[in-house]
Amino acid sequence: MSGRGAWAERFGGAWTELRENLPRAVLQTLGVILGVASVVGGFSISDSQRQQANHLFVRLGGLDKLNVLPSEVIDDGSPTALQTANLGLRAADAERGRELDAKLVGGVSEQKLLRARVRSQLADQERQVTGVGGDYLALNGYDVEQGRRFSLRDMETAAPVALVGSEAAADLFPTGEIVGRPLRIGDVPVTVVGVLREKVFRFHDGQHNMFAWRNRLVAVPATLMTRRMQGDAYRRLDRVTFRIPDLDAMLLFSRSLESLLKASHRQQRDFRLDDVAARVKRMMSQGDVYNVVFLLSGILALLGGGMVNVNIQMASLKDRVREVGVKMAIGASGGEIFKGFMTEALLMTVFGTCLGLVAGVVFSKVITVSIGVPLAISVASFGWAAALAGVFGFVFALYPAWKASRLSPMEALRYE
Amino acid sequence: MSPTIPTIPIIETHQLTKVFGSNGNAVHALRGIDLTVEQGELVALVGPSGSGKSTLMAILGCLDSPSGGTYALAGRWVHDLSGGELARVRNEKIGFIFQSYNLLPRASVRRNVELPMLYAGLGRRERRRRAEELLEQVGIADKAEALPAQLSGGQRQRVAVARALANRPALLLADEPTGALDSQTGQEVLALFRELHALGNTVLLVTHDPTVAALAERHVEIHDGLVRPPANAEEHEAAPGDEAAA
Repeated sequence: MSGRGAWAERFGGAWTELRENLPRAVLQTLGVILGVASVVGGFSISDSQRQQANHLFVRLGGLDKLNVLPSEVIDDGSPTALQTANLGLRAADAERGRELDAKLVGGVSEQKLLRARVRSQLADQERQVTGVGGDYLALNGYDVEQGRRFSLRDMETAAPVALVGSEAAADLFPTGEIVGRPLRIGDVPVTVVGVLREKVFRFHDGQHNMFAWRNRLVAVPATLMTRRMQGDAYRRLDRVTFRIPDLDAMLLFSRSLESLLKASHRQQRDFRLDDVAARVKRMMSQGDVYNVVFLLSGILALLGGGMVNVNIQMASLKDRVREVGVKMAIGASGGEIFKGFMTEALLMTVFGTCLGLVAGVVFSKVITVSIGVPLAISVASFGWAAALAGVFGFVFALYPAWKASRLSPMEALRYE
Repeated sequence: MSPTIPTIPIIETHQLTKVFGSNGNAVHALRGIDLTVEQGELVALVGPSGSGKSTLMAILGCLDSPSGGTYALAGRWVHDLSGGELARVRNEKIGFIFQSYNLLPRASVRRNVELPMLYAGLGRRERRRRAEELLEQVGIADKAEALPAQLSGGQRQRVAVARALANRPALLLADEPTGALDSQTGQEVLALFRELHALGNTVLLVTHDPTVAALAERHVEIHDGLVRPPANAEEHEAAPGDEAAA
């Protein structure tokens, strides 16, 4: 028996065999289903958890951001002439970085911090005030709820304007009328032009808002701060942040940025960059342990299922010895018997895998919903699960199929 | 009966032996069988249980290999073939009919009949056509889609006959074909064998039932792993009549 028609017949025969022995087929398929489901479920749950963690990282200002901070170069003694001649981290550095690779850079923000007395008509507080430049608001995910953002003109001209976070707004303007109101930051009078939307992030439902501090923002243009509030002639910045959406390219970018900045800072390392290499490594390794654990549990489940299958198959072989004998008597070779048994195993593996994938998705959905994390299905887990099920299905089908194919036709026919 | 033109015998064995077990407790089931069955013959293989009859049938049916001696089936040496080659010979050259029918219980009558053709590599359409033809021949064309369990014993044996004929075998090997049937149905099945014989098929009936053996032109009696000499065989041939009279 050969050719395509033969396989169709084999599948037909195997299908009939499975359908007629449904309880046995279901039991055997169950082993595959559980194994596949556990691999898919494990991967998905671990992935969901990891994605949520990454998500948090990104929103906290993590993974995709490369920070440049000023740093002290003088270790001890008096500074060298080169060191004192340096002007530190400034807006020009942000510009240079952006021009380094405009395609790669998803945004640049500048930040300058100041603790100052902030006064409105109804409040008088010592607060942190942030001078912002570039894409600060967009990069940190701020939206304007009332009023407007800072315009380019505001930034360039150091206009006396301010934006307040939702919590700061509630502190400073308890009556609710905010936009257009005056505010004094230190001695500089500014006008509030907008209120930012409240930012909320909870890792799990019911947790406290991890972004509460972001709602306390009082922002003015960085130019305003450097020119009028701090009296810093060099207009230094406290932080420049580049957003690099392509994580793989970040390491390379950080290296070229470093050499560029060093070159423009008279070869003085008066700045420091985030250690991107360490960060990327950490991110990649995160969850790997879980993946291995889940993969292992899937393998164990499939191994267990496989062994059960061998047992069931061997037990059922007893019922089928005569049938095998008859088939052999009318001309089926051992190879044909073998292929018939393997086809049954293949069908069960395919069905088991499909059902297992569905079961795994349902399973991980239930788990992720119960721990309050959005579900992330990993396509790779489908591949792993299917590959593992295929390998185990094949390997564990071999023995019973071989055993059946080696029956002596004479003894098989006489078997009672 | 005897063909005028010399043809290749369907069965030709020489000093066929079969030993089960080894050394200390070896059982010599066959001790040197010389047997020739010509094309178109209807031969009854008789003998008491334990005589080696079943062992001989298994070897003649290529279900088992002899320990020694030679066996040519339709002109081809088969005594030293491997398992896979024997399967092929069984498929192409031999049609089995068993006492207990041995139909596949979960396959339809049609599929049962088609199965040997499937192993032979026939196309679907060809198989179907031939199966219909065969079922027509044995008189149960209307049961093609039934399962064996839905048929009577006689009908099941007819399916078995149709299946045995599927690949136009050189030899039909029937092992107690009426053993599980009542005498009426048994007679009908025997009539079918007579018909097949008349059509030129070579049939080897393995039986201990004298009425079945009576159908055959020639009896081969196996005793203690040997073919009993023809002189005795003639005596034996008289026996069924006596028993029937008694």
